[in-house]
Amino acid sequence: MSLTTERERALLDKIKAKFEDVIKEKYVKPKRIRIDVSPQKIFEVASFLKALGFNQVASVAGTDYPSSNEMEVVYHIVAIDNELRDIVFALGERVSRDNPIVPSLTDVWKSASYHEQETYEMLGIKFEGHPRLERLLLPEDWADIPPLRKEFKLPGRE
Amino acid sequence: MAERTLTLSIGPQHPGAGHFRLIVVLDGDIVVDVKPDPGYVHRGAEKMAEYRTYIQNIPHLERPVIIDSSGILFPYVLASEELLDLPPPPRAQYIRIIMAELNRIISHLYWLGIYGVFVGHTTMFLWPVGDRELFIDLAQMIAGARVTFAFFVPGGVRNDIPDDFPDKAIKVCNYYEKRLKEYEKIFFYNPLVLKRTQGVGILKREDAIELGATGPNLRGSGVKSDVRKDEPYSSYDDIDFEIPVYKDGDCWSRCMVRLGELYQSMNIIKQAIKKMPSGPVKNAKRGVLKGIEGEAFARTESARGTMAYYIISDGKPYPYRLKLSVPSFRCLSLMKHLLVNQHVADIPAIYWGLDYWPVEADK
Amino acid sequence: MGVITTFEQFLVRILQILFWLLLLIPMILTPIILLILPYFDISSLYPLVPFKERVDYNQFLKFLMDPTLVFPYLGDWMKTDFFKVVIFPGFTFAALFSGVIITWWERKFLSKVHNRYGPVYAGKFGGILQSIADLFKLLFKEIIIPERVDKLFFFMAPMGTLAISGALLALIPLGPSTYIARSNLSLLLIFAVLGFYPIVVLLASWASANKFSFIGGLRSLHQLVSYEIPLLLSVLGIVIMAGSLDLIRIVEAQVSLWFLIPQFLGAIVFIIATLAELERIPFDLPEADTEIVAGWLTEYSGMLFAIIQLAAYLKFYALSALFTVLFLGGWHGPIFLPPEAWTIIKVFLVMSFLMLIRGSMPRIRIDQLIRIGWVWLITIALINLFIALFIYSMGVKF
Repeated sequence: MSLTTERERALLDKIKAKFEDVIKEKYVKPKRIRIDVSPQKIFEVASFLKALGFNQVASVAGTDYPSSNEMEVVYHIVAIDNELRDIVFALGERVSRDNPIVPSLTDVWKSASYHEQETYEMLGIKFEGHPRLERLLLPEDWADIPPLRKEFKLPGRE
Repeated sequence: MAERTLTLSIGPQHPGAGHFRLIVVLDGDIVVDVKPDPGYVHRGAEKMAEYRTYIQNIPHLERPVIIDSSGILFPYVLASEELLDLPPPPRAQYIRIIMAELNRIISHLYWLGIYGVFVGHTTMFLWPVGDRELFIDLAQMIAGARVTFAFFVPGGVRNDIPDDFPDKAIKVCNYYEKRLKEYEKIFFYNPLVLKRTQGVGILKREDAIELGATGPNLRGSGVKSDVRKDEPYSSYDDIDFEIPVYKDGDCWSRCMVRLGELYQSMNIIKQAIKKMPSGPVKNAKRGVLKGIEGEAFARTESARGTMAYYIISDGKPYPYRLKLSVPSFRCLSLMKHLLVNQHVADIPAIYWGLDYWPVEADK
Repeated sequence: MGVITTFEQFLVRILQILFWLLLLIPMILTPIILLILPYFDISSLYPLVPFKERVDYNQFLKFLMDPTLVFPYLGDWMKTDFFKVVIFPGFTFAALFSGVIITWWERKFLSKVHNRYGPVYAGKFGGILQSIADLFKLLFKEIIIPERVDKLFFFMAPMGTLAISGALLALIPLGPSTYIARSNLSLLLIFAVLGFYPIVVLLASWASANKFSFIGGLRSLHQLVSYEIPLLLSVLGIVIMAGSLDLIRIVEAQVSLWFLIPQFLGAIVFIIATLAELERIPFDLPEADTEIVAGWLTEYSGMLFAIIQLAAYLKFYALSALFTVLFLGGWHGPIFLPPEAWTIIKVFLVMSFLMLIRGSMPRIRIDQLIRIGWVWLITIALINLFIALFIYSMGVKF
């Protein structure tokens, strides 16, 4: 196991060269890279990442930050069967809690489709352009707020 | 066209579905549309995890897949070790490998049993379910439980293996390698099984990657992808094993990948027993475990594919956000792709051929 | 009488109740019969129970007083049609043999294939009373009738399957003189009776008003209709060689050589088509549980389900017996056992063989099933027919 981050640096530099002012580097660890992008630019960055070889979405995680009145969506992207296979690339974006609308990346990665649908359901983040924003896991008569928001409290746990 | 079709709900109360519904539209014997409807066993594991400490989460998080409980805990301990700064000692890493591979065998045998009965082969239901007991007994020797082991902890494993475990494990593995040859004769190379599974539900290589298939489903489509090789965690890079890959992408390929993994898992167990160093099995650090502020993403190869955890910590003993990305959930996008234009009789063969575990997908 | 904990105790209790009923009924009924009998023409009973000599009123009263006096008449009684149809070789024997012994043996035998125990608790030896326990369970179960069901046909269909299977029994001889009905065309009659089965299945599936039942019924219709043709073609060779459609004549023709040897291809086709007719694995598509719940049986419960199962096992017995009669020389065997025993032993072996297939094969798909039936089985059956014609033209007489 190499604990150096030269490859990851080189990869990030390649992305930075194209999207210098758009992306914000969050961390570079061995085999893990995280950048943050604004929702307006995420589609282009995602397309570029796919062209680099990151061809599958492993997870789409939404997180609620009531303290800063923001919500975060992180795509964890992996590369299947090419030389980047050991790297997990995290592509994050932040959006205001008041009107959480972000572009859907299903056109870039089809594998993001169900993950985005789940995030929509659990946090109420709307993915613009997603083909199927509807109930997935919750009961059909669910009338409460999306359950993974921080103001949704588990009864008896506070 | 509309009046020619018949809409069928396969599940949630159906012998061929589990806690899951597949809304199927039929035209004669041919499937024209499919809509998977998960969520019947959604328990909100991610939300519940935010209310539990890193240790309390261990038994809680293995509930979604109790037949592969080590597989679902493995990435959790890897990610939480990164956040809690608790590196595991080398012996613990080998014990983890043994336990994870035992669990992979247990899970695959369960899958094989159900697959047998799904294609109507009664003997292939009872043989694997019976022989699975051998491996459950082995796991019970280590962890003390039969299915929900709660054995991995951040910083190592709960206890060392008993002294008589290595001999017994090697004996069982040697016996079972012979036994698998009988399985091949009666099931995997049975002409009627070949007729039922070959050329059915073909998942092409590009589609498999594009739609997000992982694990045996991906390897059944000819993609050599396995987290154990791609990003060797624990001590998998010390162990010499192969990844079975089949090119056709049909149900039979996916079966054969899992059969090959049974052989490989036993091979890994035998090697890990031989190569295991001595020493402690748990990190000596004690006290209330608080995560350092930050985030961690860990992935491992569970029985069904890439199991991944994304944990965000804000310095408290609880995770701020825990995202569980399970392989079964990714099968949802494969279902429509594979089932449309197939026969009704192929629905169970394809559906369970993906090894979709509804409880895991619902979390 | 304590709390019932085992199945044996349950049976004992049932027998006790039966005993008291048997004791009480004569005590109440005998006076009534004594009052009615003088006004009742006893000769109307003769077709049912014809005794050798005329039984008059006084004789009948003696029977009622002392049942042991009936024993000398039993031998005559066993030769009556009533006994043949109801007891042996008719319905009671066949139902007990196929419904109790064969179901138990199938479960026990398959459990050995499956590497498990099978039934163990009911009965002293290997759970031998399990079928009776199941029968009692099904007797006391509620018969659930869904709202939208067409009630007439829903109830008629199980009776229809039982009637068809029972009718098959009448034509199959177990011994040179142990048969219910003999006809010059008995083989043809069997196929005529079998032809009713898909109609009943389709009625049941349509009356159930259930999508899964409907799919199962259609599958069953396709399967039964397409496999009747190879079934019929596969036995034509035997008809040519034996020169008769009479099953007893066919068995007599096998005195020196079983038809299994010259008609081997026909036997294979017959076995495969039989499996399809019986809807057993690998051809159990109409009841494929993981695909269509229970096929056309989905809505049936309780005793209606038990009747369908009994009919299925009677049909299993009847078709195995037909195979024995056609290919395995019927009652021919070494002298030390009675001919009926040889037939039953051979039937038992044939049924065990079919069970073994159930343990080792998966279920086949409907399109593959139809293709095998129409393309392969009919071709092989025709080749078999030509072999029979060739043997016949060589002048070999059976």
